[in-house]
Amino acid sequence: MLRKNLKFRNIILLLLLIPFMSNAQNLTGKEIIEKVYYRDDGDDRRGKLTMTLINSRGDQRVREIKQFDKDFGKEEKKIMFFLSPADVRNTSFMNWSYDDPAKDDDQWIYLPALGKVKRISSDSKDDYFMGSDFTYDDLGDRHPDEDTHKLLREETVDGEECYVVESMPKEDGYMYSKTVTWVIKDKWIGLQKKFYDEDGDYLKILNVKDYKKYDGILVITHSEMHNVQKDHKTVMKYKDIELNAGIDSGYFTERMMTRGL
Amino acid sequence: MNTFIKFLTKYPWPILLGILAVTVFLFIEMSANSRMETDLDEYMPQDHPAFVYSDSAEAMFNIKDGIIIAIENKDGIYNPQTLGKIKKLTEDLQQMKQIEKGDVTSLYTADNIIGTETGLDVTSFYEEVPESSDKLKSIRQSVRTNEMVYERIVSEDETVSVVIAEIGDDVFSMEFYHEILDLADSYENANHTLYVAGTPIVEGTMAYLGPKDMKKMVPIVILVIIIVLYVTLRNTKTTILTLLVVILSVIWAFGLMAWLGISIYAVTTMMPVMLIAIGVADGIHLFNHMYLYLQEHPEASRKDAISDMVRNMWKPVAMTSVTTSVGFVSLLASEVYPIKYFGLFTAFGVMAAMFFSLVFIPVGLMIFNKPKNVKAKGESEKHHPLAHKISKWVLQHKILVVVLSVLIIGIGIYGTQKVWINSSFLDKFEDDSDIVQTDNFINKKFGGTTTLNVILSAERKDAFKEPEVLKLMSKMQGDVVASVKDAGNSFSLADYLERMNKVMHADKEEYNRIPDSHNLNAQYLLLYEMSGDPDNLWEVVNYDYNKANLNIQIKEDDSKSLKAVLDEVRSYKDEFSDLNVDINFAGSGYTALVFTDLILEGQIKSLVITLIIIIVLLSLMFRQVSIGFIGAVPISITAVLSFGVMGLLNIPLSTTTALLASIAIGIGIDYAVHFIERYRISQKTHKDRLSVATATMNHSGRAILFNAVVVIAGFLVLTFSVFPPNRALGALVSFNMFTSFVGTITIMLVLLHWKKKFK
Repeated sequence: MLRKNLKFRNIILLLLLIPFMSNAQNLTGKEIIEKVYYRDDGDDRRGKLTMTLINSRGDQRVREIKQFDKDFGKEEKKIMFFLSPADVRNTSFMNWSYDDPAKDDDQWIYLPALGKVKRISSDSKDDYFMGSDFTYDDLGDRHPDEDTHKLLREETVDGEECYVVESMPKEDGYMYSKTVTWVIKDKWIGLQKKFYDEDGDYLKILNVKDYKKYDGILVITHSEMHNVQKDHKTVMKYKDIELNAGIDSGYFTERMMTRGL
Repeated sequence: MNTFIKFLTKYPWPILLGILAVTVFLFIEMSANSRMETDLDEYMPQDHPAFVYSDSAEAMFNIKDGIIIAIENKDGIYNPQTLGKIKKLTEDLQQMKQIEKGDVTSLYTADNIIGTETGLDVTSFYEEVPESSDKLKSIRQSVRTNEMVYERIVSEDETVSVVIAEIGDDVFSMEFYHEILDLADSYENANHTLYVAGTPIVEGTMAYLGPKDMKKMVPIVILVIIIVLYVTLRNTKTTILTLLVVILSVIWAFGLMAWLGISIYAVTTMMPVMLIAIGVADGIHLFNHMYLYLQEHPEASRKDAISDMVRNMWKPVAMTSVTTSVGFVSLLASEVYPIKYFGLFTAFGVMAAMFFSLVFIPVGLMIFNKPKNVKAKGESEKHHPLAHKISKWVLQHKILVVVLSVLIIGIGIYGTQKVWINSSFLDKFEDDSDIVQTDNFINKKFGGTTTLNVILSAERKDAFKEPEVLKLMSKMQGDVVASVKDAGNSFSLADYLERMNKVMHADKEEYNRIPDSHNLNAQYLLLYEMSGDPDNLWEVVNYDYNKANLNIQIKEDDSKSLKAVLDEVRSYKDEFSDLNVDINFAGSGYTALVFTDLILEGQIKSLVITLIIIIVLLSLMFRQVSIGFIGAVPISITAVLSFGVMGLLNIPLSTTTALLASIAIGIGIDYAVHFIERYRISQKTHKDRLSVATATMNHSGRAILFNAVVVIAGFLVLTFSVFPPNRALGALVSFNMFTSFVGTITIMLVLLHWKKKFK
């Protein structure tokens, strides 16, 4: 009887809460972007990344990369090994990025033909990643606190219900004057994102073409960035994915970079 | 003919009104629809292989002409104010809608790739304008040790830095040109001087000043011709009528162009000058005839005088107009569309002038009456004493005339071999003009304002990662810059790899060379893509690494300098082909060179065609082949001597001067035709050959002299033009007219004299 009552009370409570719940659903733009940023993506990840670069004349270059990365609380470490083209095989690249927006990434490169690991220091995060149309920030490095966010509307795109959030940088002179992200409700995946350059002109569009669930975690497996001003495209495909693979914390060292695959 | 003359004399007013109506219509068309074409690419024959290749290479490597703005601070550029100006100017240019952001290069946008003990640092030289002297010093140090920037963006003496904005072929307009100049001006102050140069600016200045110069010169030419016409015709009415013929034919030619929607090109602006020079001839010959007729028949009515004039003169006027037109129509042989149009519409204008001379002049005389101030002369005065003297002298010194002619032809042929073609745009300006001074200044401080693109290509992928290929590129670059005087600098994929190799070896100079391993090259390039701006890379190599764009900067834009560089590059052909790499060329400097060759080729073709057609036409007109050849003698001498003089005086053939031969033939043939026709007629009435010659000399010789004087005076005006090529044109056309005139009354007369009597 008590149980039953409890159940009944719960139902009543639930009914009473419905209007408030939808209120609770009424997230702010900032909260939505934070949900995307902090969405569970496992503690570490291993997988094969295929990057296809396509220029305006339709010329293509394909690169295959084996990627390892792991979260270390306030920092994330990543090592990438080139599988192909053959002449850059085993070239490796290590990146440590930090939650602290004030702290620049640390980066190293190992060129097997040179036989040396070199530090790369690059003074801007708006550098494009390996000649692609993605900047390091686009790849998920940009902390939500670096922008102010505003929920514009909700709409359905490709059959997915989305929040449309506009983000404006707090700093002056950032490469984007504004980005608009279509975030899938409950999945917290940015399905589509439009980028506007310093002058406010439409620059690029990111489309997530496919995502898959691994161990209950959603992983984007196919995305496309199109720079409409240059008509240059980058297609990223991610496969052979293992999440929480238990990558050793000591894996992310210069010595490992030189070992190759 | 008689019905035609009757018709003219019967209905002067309706005919006049008809002509005026058409003229008004075409004038309205001309003022409403004339369109000036300033895009020089419109001149290029788009289907020519060299242009097709260059276009595809330009698209592949984003090769564009650059506007170069140089900021000079005599105290050095490393101070907050100058660096601030460089930054601001860069941003201002990036904001312009005609310029793509990524196409502006300056010290502010350049990547600074530097090596450190532990690694590699890719930064900009500055983002915020540095204030502290330490920071300024460190920028200076970074520039000095970076071969990709030092002496390319900052001058060796550190007083000048350039901001380069590359623009597409289709964005250039007069407004844009002035916008750029005004922008640069606004950055000047007590310490800073700005210079604007580069191919688009040179072309723009020409497109701006060329028509402006013609607009200024044409009225002066007309004025001079009015004065000379008046002095020679000694009559207001005939002067006005002759002038109206010229003006009407110019309006008709331009009006028809506008009506058909054909743009006015720079070369078309020469059309009025041509038509003025040619159009006056018909009038002069007609009035000369009437004047002589009235001297003999002082009592003749105006109807009689007009009838006699048309009856006797329609044939030579028609013949000369047709032959002149043929000369211009033959320009259709050119592969260059503006020149085709120039030829076609000038020919139309010439035919229009003939129509007006044979219709408008008689009609005008009917309405305004015949000239009154003609005084009857006695039989003794019938022939001007000079006509007799000249004829006598020529016929007494036949051998001398022939020898002199042969000698002149010899000198001409000798000089012709020294003729060179110049595709330079800069040489079209005065040496002390702003544009030339600016160009010299920038060329003194930097590698050169003219760029030659050497396109290397291989079948296999990744050829330009191969050490042998890259080393050969580097060697060739070094060689070209060292051995060709005007080659100032060069740039290619090899420079990137040398720089990367040095930087990755802690900036040690001994590593400033191409690595020996294919893989290391590939890995450096990957690293560059990861750290620098990969777009820069795609301006020197393609995605598949089997096509490369090697830039050579040249300090002069004339054909001699360009050819010297081309020859040096071509000397590497065998070595490259051993590596299965082909050499080709692209870019505006190269296409301009090919273009000038095409113009010359077209000219020679058209010259030969004209000469053949004229010989055939004259043979048909006078029903004798030998007359065809005799008639071609003065113009042939004129053409040979014209080129010969250009060669001897080191005047290069250019787009303007190349048209000379057509003009010379077109106008010069008139003299011969009139002279032969009169000689033929005089044979009927005069027995001995000296009096035939004297009568011809008195009639046609006189008109030819007037004609030559008028045209020479008109063209001499052009020698005051601000454009050296227009000046050369004025001087050479005047000279050609003189040659034609002298040739006609000397060697041609001798040849006619030796010939048997003809009908």
